[in-house]
Amino acid sequence: MSGSAAVMSGGAAAVFWIGATYFLFVVSRAMHRRMGAWWSSPLLMTCGSCLALALCLHASYGDYMRGGQWLLMLLGPATVAFALPIHEHRALIRKHWQTLLVGLACGSLLAFGGTWLVSGWLGLSDGLRLAILPRSFTTPFAMAFASDVGGSPDLAAVCVILTGVFGASIGGVLLRILPLRSSFARGMMFGMGAHGAGVARAREVGAEEEAVAGLVMVLAGVGCALIGLAVSLLK
Amino acid sequence: MHNRVALARDSMGRGMRTFFQAGLLIGLWWVCEAASRTCHLGVPGGVLGLFVLAALLLSGRFPVRWVSGGAGLLLDNFLLFFVPAAMTLLNHPEFLGWTGLKVVAVVVVGIFLVMVGTAMAVEWHLVLRSRHVR
Repeated sequence: MSGSAAVMSGGAAAVFWIGATYFLFVVSRAMHRRMGAWWSSPLLMTCGSCLALALCLHASYGDYMRGGQWLLMLLGPATVAFALPIHEHRALIRKHWQTLLVGLACGSLLAFGGTWLVSGWLGLSDGLRLAILPRSFTTPFAMAFASDVGGSPDLAAVCVILTGVFGASIGGVLLRILPLRSSFARGMMFGMGAHGAGVARAREVGAEEEAVAGLVMVLAGVGCALIGLAVSLLK
Repeated sequence: MHNRVALARDSMGRGMRTFFQAGLLIGLWWVCEAASRTCHLGVPGGVLGLFVLAALLLSGRFPVRWVSGGAGLLLDNFLLFFVPAAMTLLNHPEFLGWTGLKVVAVVVVGIFLVMVGTAMAVEWHLVLRSRHVR
């Protein structure tokens, strides 16, 4: 540890990093509302500026996580909160459950197949390929999958985050290009392509999109963990 | 004057209720996380909690308004909770070089494949079904 971050005590560092992250998040969100460009997505901007701030202050990951762990902890309760939009739109989901299964199957197949093939073409090492494989699924499931098939769960988490950061932006661009008329297709696109970050982006698009995306994120994650479990049992 | 005080008290009450409801959701998550860990369920506490809350809401004994404010607060700030996860990049300087660029390329190409594929498959299936119904 060196630089100004080292001067702060544990408690002060925690308050500082929570405050700084929240401040950057609020500013990024306000800027995104005004500009609406794909690169101004709040997650991309907040992550970028937080990383830059940490590098400028010579703060380590451990320094940041003194405060960051409390924000990260809230990811769990926020996942619980998705029960509300799903419950609210249960009629829509019940009506289209077959389409939901089609989308889940297609999306999962493309997620595993596409990632495996492209990473092979680019000549990534086998260890990295196994870690990047579950990148489309929400963090806890992806980490479980990676350790089941023999990849590093830590690297898997990094790839999942990269997917979320870029996916939320790319989804916003695709929304303008693809001729999608149903809220169901838009929701599934976000939930399948960019897990939690996509669901948060879908919330900006509409309430039905959010509910569908949230459900798809959870179901795809459970499916991913089951596949990982099957692979580890077959080995 | 009296009205304004009442209004202020009202909005403060609403704020308190929202925080209390968020606390309730945090409590539910905490219990589910503990249950998942002690029983080795292999499902994260958040997901178990989602199923439990959805079951409670569906049963009709647990009204939506008991948690709707708190859930809104958590969902509005959902992206904020992802930022610390991205900070793991500080521990992986190897991602800042050539390998990182390749990983980003895999991620971006993969996202396009999954998103376009899923969205088109779902849209196509919906159109097919609606034609079938007619």
